[in-house]
Amino acid sequence: MTEATWRLPPIPVLLVAVALIACAEVGGGAMAQFKLELARWARGTMLARPQVHGLVGVRDVDEQILDEALVKFDAGLRLFHLHAEGMGTIIIVTTMVTASLVARPFWRRAIMALITAGGAGYPFGYLLWSGLIPFHGIARGKTMVEWLVWIPFGGAAIVAMWLLVGALTVQWLGRQRTP
Amino acid sequence: MRRPPLILILVAITMIALGETAGAFLAPLRPAVERYARGRIAANPGAHGLTGSVEYDDEVRSRAVFAAEAGISFFHTHAEGLAPVILLAGTIVASVVPGGAVRGVLYGLLTAGALFPLGYVVYALAALETGREAGVGLAERYVLTPLGSAAILALLALVLLLGRAARARQPAR
Repeated sequence: MTEATWRLPPIPVLLVAVALIACAEVGGGAMAQFKLELARWARGTMLARPQVHGLVGVRDVDEQILDEALVKFDAGLRLFHLHAEGMGTIIIVTTMVTASLVARPFWRRAIMALITAGGAGYPFGYLLWSGLIPFHGIARGKTMVEWLVWIPFGGAAIVAMWLLVGALTVQWLGRQRTP
Repeated sequence: MRRPPLILILVAITMIALGETAGAFLAPLRPAVERYARGRIAANPGAHGLTGSVEYDDEVRSRAVFAAEAGISFFHTHAEGLAPVILLAGTIVASVVPGGAVRGVLYGLLTAGALFPLGYVVYALAALETGREAGVGLAERYVLTPLGSAAILALLALVLLLGRAARARQPAR
């Protein structure tokens, strides 16, 4: 019932995954350490662009708009931390499965490249979104990041994962047919 | 480290793929999810206790849509998180646990446990079809509890077996 041993993915793949996890750790630490400075910077940048955020000069109205933008700014940083930690692990696990079980070199390389590029790029979309909110607002920032990062990189990771599922299914079915 | 059986690896990787795909339903496809959810609530007014009072019904609809979105969100996080744990546990079983029968039982429990996050898909769909409370109860009773218990049992058994293996390897004093 037990199969052969695991094969390690290529070192550059491991390097990208571990660097991503390290970025997530540093991001989490920086988020806590510089929380006030980051919020102050975001608030100052938004106040310098009243038209972008629809600020009208009435304190009660403006504070509500600024608060909502700051909550999203903070959420973007947190989501970067979470996704970078998670995707780093997923890259290591899934490329290890790919290296061990996908026999054809073309598919093995394609799946690994898509998982690594997609998985490593995707979390940075949250960081970019946070950075864009003070300059372009919540909705415009989100739209920009969706097209620049989340759809291409997230799409690559999803395609790679289903290609891996397909390769494993073919192999499993082949083993079922073999007497 | 030795590999667990292909079926366990296939189930775990499929859960990761489903979890990643579910992530898309939380962001770019969120409006479509909300439209679908509101459509299902409108198709099952009795299950949700809609009364015809606009204010009350809006509150009920919002809570049901929130439950459905929460189900997808829980599925996304649990599928991405649990599958690597199952793969790791399966690798430890393959590498450390002696005895084909014990290993087979542990593989079976881990494979069932890997399917645990699907309970949150049931949670999301059942909340829309049968009402929030009944749907959540159904998912918990028939999917989340049995599959979650399988994962917990496998991990507890693995802890016991690893403890026994560690004691057996200690030099006699």
